[in-house]
Amino acid sequence: MSSKENCRNELRTAIRQLSDRCLHPAAKWAAEQLVGIEQDPAKFTPANTRFQRGSSSIRRRFRTNEIASATPLTPIAGVSYVSTPVMEEDEAVDNDFYLLGKTYFDCREYRRAAHALRDQTAKKSVFLRNYALFLAGEKRKEEESIELTGLGNSESTNCELVTIEIELSTLRKNGTIDPFGLYLYGIVLKEKGNQNLARMVLVESVNCYPWNWSAWSELQALCSTPEILSSLSLSNHWMKDFFLASAYQELKMHNESLAKYEYLQGTFSFSNYVQAQIAQVQYSLREFEQVEVIFEELLRNDPYRVEDMDMYSNVLYAKECFSALSYLAHRVFMTDKYRPESCCIIANYYSLKGQHEKAVTYFKRALKLNKNYLTAWTLMGHEYVEMKNTPAAVDAYRRAVDINPRDYRAWYGLGQAYEVMGMPFYALHYFKKSVFLQANDARLWIAMAQCYETDQLQMLEEAIKCYKRAASCGDKEAIALQQLAKLHRELGRFEEAAFYYKKDLERMEAEEREAQNMVEALSFLAEHCREMKRYEEAEVYCARLMDYGGPEKETAKNILRGIRGDTSLPSMDVDHFRP
Amino acid sequence: MAAAGAFGVTPHKVAVCVLLQMYSPPAQAEPLFSVSQHNHLGLYLLAITKSHGDFLEPKLADLLTQLKDISGSLGDWLIEHLTSRLSSLSSPDDLAVLFSEFRGILGGTESAVIEDNQVVLDPNSYLGMFVRRCVLAFNLLSFEGVCHLLTNIGNYCKEALSSCLPYQLHGLDDSVNDLETPSAYENMDLENFVFQKVTEEIVANKQASQRNSFHLHTSKALSGLVEDVEIVAGSLYNRAGNSGETCFSSDTIASGTRGADTSGNMFLRTTSQLQGFFMEQADAIEKHGCSFPLNGFEVILNRIKNLAPELHRVHFLHYLTCLYHDDYFGALENLRRFFDYSVGIGGFDITPVPSRSKGFERYETGLLCLGMLQFHFGHPKQALEVLTEAVRVSQQQSNDSCLAYTLATICTLSSEMGSSSTSGLLGTSYSHTATIGTSLYFKQQLFVLLREALKRAESLSLKRLIASNHLAMAKFDLMNVQRPLLSFGPKASIKLRTCPITVCKELRSCLHLVSEYASESPTMTIEGSSYLVRATAWEIYGSATLARVNSLVFATCYLDASSLSDAALVHAKLIQHLATFQGYRDAFSALKVAEEKFLSISRPVILLLKLQLLHERALHRGNLKLALQLCNELGVLASPFNGVDNQLKIEASMRHARTLLAAKQYRQASEVAQSIFCLCYQFNMQVENASVLLLLAEIHKKSGNAVLGLPYALASLSFCQSFNLDLLEASAKVTLAELWLSLGTNHAKRALTLLHGAFPMVLGHGGLELRARARLIEAQCYLCDPSYSVVEESEIVLDALKQASDEFEFLEYHEMAAEAFYLMALVYDKLGQPDEREEASDSFKKHILALENPHEEEEKEDDEPVLAMLVE
Repeated sequence: MSSKENCRNELRTAIRQLSDRCLHPAAKWAAEQLVGIEQDPAKFTPANTRFQRGSSSIRRRFRTNEIASATPLTPIAGVSYVSTPVMEEDEAVDNDFYLLGKTYFDCREYRRAAHALRDQTAKKSVFLRNYALFLAGEKRKEEESIELTGLGNSESTNCELVTIEIELSTLRKNGTIDPFGLYLYGIVLKEKGNQNLARMVLVESVNCYPWNWSAWSELQALCSTPEILSSLSLSNHWMKDFFLASAYQELKMHNESLAKYEYLQGTFSFSNYVQAQIAQVQYSLREFEQVEVIFEELLRNDPYRVEDMDMYSNVLYAKECFSALSYLAHRVFMTDKYRPESCCIIANYYSLKGQHEKAVTYFKRALKLNKNYLTAWTLMGHEYVEMKNTPAAVDAYRRAVDINPRDYRAWYGLGQAYEVMGMPFYALHYFKKSVFLQANDARLWIAMAQCYETDQLQMLEEAIKCYKRAASCGDKEAIALQQLAKLHRELGRFEEAAFYYKKDLERMEAEEREAQNMVEALSFLAEHCREMKRYEEAEVYCARLMDYGGPEKETAKNILRGIRGDTSLPSMDVDHFRP
Repeated sequence: MAAAGAFGVTPHKVAVCVLLQMYSPPAQAEPLFSVSQHNHLGLYLLAITKSHGDFLEPKLADLLTQLKDISGSLGDWLIEHLTSRLSSLSSPDDLAVLFSEFRGILGGTESAVIEDNQVVLDPNSYLGMFVRRCVLAFNLLSFEGVCHLLTNIGNYCKEALSSCLPYQLHGLDDSVNDLETPSAYENMDLENFVFQKVTEEIVANKQASQRNSFHLHTSKALSGLVEDVEIVAGSLYNRAGNSGETCFSSDTIASGTRGADTSGNMFLRTTSQLQGFFMEQADAIEKHGCSFPLNGFEVILNRIKNLAPELHRVHFLHYLTCLYHDDYFGALENLRRFFDYSVGIGGFDITPVPSRSKGFERYETGLLCLGMLQFHFGHPKQALEVLTEAVRVSQQQSNDSCLAYTLATICTLSSEMGSSSTSGLLGTSYSHTATIGTSLYFKQQLFVLLREALKRAESLSLKRLIASNHLAMAKFDLMNVQRPLLSFGPKASIKLRTCPITVCKELRSCLHLVSEYASESPTMTIEGSSYLVRATAWEIYGSATLARVNSLVFATCYLDASSLSDAALVHAKLIQHLATFQGYRDAFSALKVAEEKFLSISRPVILLLKLQLLHERALHRGNLKLALQLCNELGVLASPFNGVDNQLKIEASMRHARTLLAAKQYRQASEVAQSIFCLCYQFNMQVENASVLLLLAEIHKKSGNAVLGLPYALASLSFCQSFNLDLLEASAKVTLAELWLSLGTNHAKRALTLLHGAFPMVLGHGGLELRARARLIEAQCYLCDPSYSVVEESEIVLDALKQASDEFEFLEYHEMAAEAFYLMALVYDKLGQPDEREEASDSFKKHILALENPHEEEEKEDDEPVLAMLVE
């Protein structure tokens, strides 16, 4: 059983071990989680709570489904965690060459580091040598890709991969490889395209040494389907929960992911990481309000954070918060302007201002920094659509889709672009793709329905099916019901039309919206009821219609007169209905 | 530095420049070459800068062997010089010096002093341009770029050197492979892939050896250049020629598969060379169809994609391979990907597109391709929707040529898919009464559309399109009766016949047009298919000889320009002809040859033929179980979708009905025949209708219900007349005669007259079976005729019977042969010739026994591979 204290101890050791191996990102992550663990009130000292925010008002507002911080870290449904013994280092005193190599490494002189460690046999040194070699290769690869080509062109490869693979696979065969070596081996295999073996090796690595978050992230990137995820044989360590949460999120299993993160918050209640991830999930669930609140708090506590801030900027964009977005852009710009996220945020700001050319420039810069930056490709597509440069938009969306075929926004963008160009039938394919990936998004269904409805296609039956789906997905803009009513009326199915008009009416009443639609619905219903000889109902609708001035009022009067005629009641002065 | 696929300086180009430098040496140097050697070297250099047989630049080792081949004794000197020059480059400045030397070999206008014996490269010549481009590209390089070039040249030389010590290197390689093996095993796909690769290589090699004899398809530029050199440096150019010819040598696969880890030293050829490579591969894919090696090629495509992602053509080739390997989703995705990408930049960049609004123009093409894709996969409704959109967008963009092509495609679509698919589009639900109207309406629409398409193509003078539109028109005329389009009422002429003359006219104008045009391979294809259509037309009209002649013309003149499936088709036609006119033995031996020729290629066509022949023979021999099995297998070949492969479905059902008939299961047989009739009616396949009706008449006749059979036979007869199906008409007449005869002996005279009327056609063009049947019936008629006396005019009957029995024996048609011998025995008996009688009755017995034990015969022939293959 792990308690908070256990976690803390494990993490402390891990941070040291990871730093010794220069696995800095993993060490950083572990350290973040370490301070993210809630302090026992007994040991409460001001120094320890510097990064903690017990007093936050937001916390109180949003922790409704409280997994009380008092609960110890017990696994869900009684799963017991395996206790992985903290790894012992081979040698108490570090070798001199190791120390030299590490300093070189820390100064980013990778080749020099590898050279200094060339004859070392201790596991730590061997790993560091290979890792240095790998990074040297990566560095060269990036330089080459800039030297050789422009944006989005041919891929250069890390030329050290073969050497590293040979050494590590030998070590693995001999059984003398350590979990860090396995992690590196996994990356190399992944780079070389051997996904199955890479997965296996990475699973071995995390089962032996679960505190290396980088290994988990690599593994997560290799789990492209839920089936693969469930086929992994992972031992139960609390780190596995972090992994699963992130994997669920990537596989769009948002609710499962949210549950995991909220569970983790029980222990790591002050972890920025967990918070940011929750924001990410909420963003996918389109809960923008919550996302905004979380980010406000995050920025208060961690003002120089750039990670995930692009998402925040998207939220601000959606809410059209000009000044907040510009403030954010300024902040990240001052922190680190050469981060893809920073460029993306700035681009978002320009886009919101309607300066699409400038936005495109910054998106391009973001893509230069990371050409697999999915969001930037998609958003750049949107910009091109705004600039009426549809071919360029198509190209940008297509790149996004080729990077991640599960990006429904880009598929949707492709559909829209082709629809704009007057090719609705061609566009349908793309809408179908996007709808397939995000089946409960009313906007997508409506877009598809509108595509079916175009003059060129006039496939109204299909349009009706789509609108029905949209209505059942909770269409916020209330387009679906109205269109359903209209289409049914056009097709002469008055009963159905009446049904949908009534529903739409109820909705408008509930939301207290008054619109032209209201008039349309009322006049149709009045007319329809009269024809069906449901005079009383018709009169009610007419009465409501009388509230509107102008031609509607006249229509209402006409209908009422008609009703009088039909029922041959003694003629009554319709003007009595005047309010 | 430019992107990988464009014109960047690579070690190979540096080597070529060094060779060019040797080709045009400075004045004071001794003339090292004889004139002819010099010319050869020049031609060789020209050829390697233009060749597009592969997508990667050759390695130094390859270059060296080629040099050795081409220049014999001089080769060593060239090699020596080249390698020493390249390996002497050790610093970036060496490179700078080298490139400034390259500038010197160009004769510029400013260098006025040119000594007499100096060979100067004209800067505007192709090679001169090449050097200039190299120099320019080098000058544009950043320092990093120069460093890269230097490292690459180092590797380039190192590889060549190490290949001199092949064993040592191999040992090294193996050790690497050993380490990688576990990963290969854990990744099972890989293993599979290796296996497939090997088989594909075998196929590719086979193709290579097979195609050698035909040299029509090589890229003209290269082969034209190379023609003279070929005599001297034969081996080299044969190799180069072959890789262009087969488009896919195993070398190419190997270069595609190797180097997942040596990719650092791989360079794509220049963009224009690559485009040539792509065009060639595309042609090859279309030609070889599903036999084109898939996996090996995909590896190549992926390599190109990695090396030069900006070359979107790769997606198009990917689409083509998927299309021909029946991978619907792959094809769809890649097609869309191609057009998504190429819209902005350059997809169809080598086709001469007029410069206006290039970007948008391609969307229509995309739609057109998508339409053809849906059509290919048997989704007519989708295809029609897409093509409609293509028409709309091409009109909006006033892209006339795309519009013309789209219309032509719609025509093909509608004529092949028939009315049912489109009537569904019009929203009318299927019902028997509705179809008559819609199908007529539909045919008229198609006719108008064809005319419109033809007119458009003519006004744009797209010759290929005009030719293929003529072909489509001919096909339409072949299968449809002429109806006045607009005129109704009593004055409208109602001569409901097809018009063979128009068909011939259309075919002729197609051919005429094409022959006007140079003999390029695409027009050759159309020309070839016009001969195929001719052959089919004559088959339908019933002229066996003309059908055969046209098939033969195709087989001799157009075989190598046509697609493999067409080639297989023409073989099938010829073999079928052989079977009907000369019996099965010859046909089967020809089939064996064809099967070897089209090894895995166009399997369906040849397989279909085999099944047809086997079924026919099984029916004749009376082995009904086998026959049933065979026609079921035939049915399986058809696509399961409604409205697709109708022809095949009908054929399978017809054979099924005939098998049932032979098994004397009349009710089932007639049920099957009725269902075929409905299908034909639904899809407006009237030519097929005629034969179904005849089959129904046959069924009624055999079931002893001649009166019921008569109307069917007459209906068939009138169908035959209006479609000019002369041979079928003759066989309908034969059946009609039989029906009359079975109505009673008093009708024998009428039957005989009918039969004699059909004789010219039957004896002139009919196959063995029809002829034999006609003669047998003739004899029967005489024998039934009360006014005929056996004793006086025995010759007439005996002659007919002899001929009939001979031909039936040839066909191994035991049942009918037995009948002929039976009659013969009776006649001899009447004539009092016991010896002959005994002989005839022995034969009768033999055939009856064979009929009763059909399996013995099969077992006797179990050495026959055809059957053995089928049984497994």
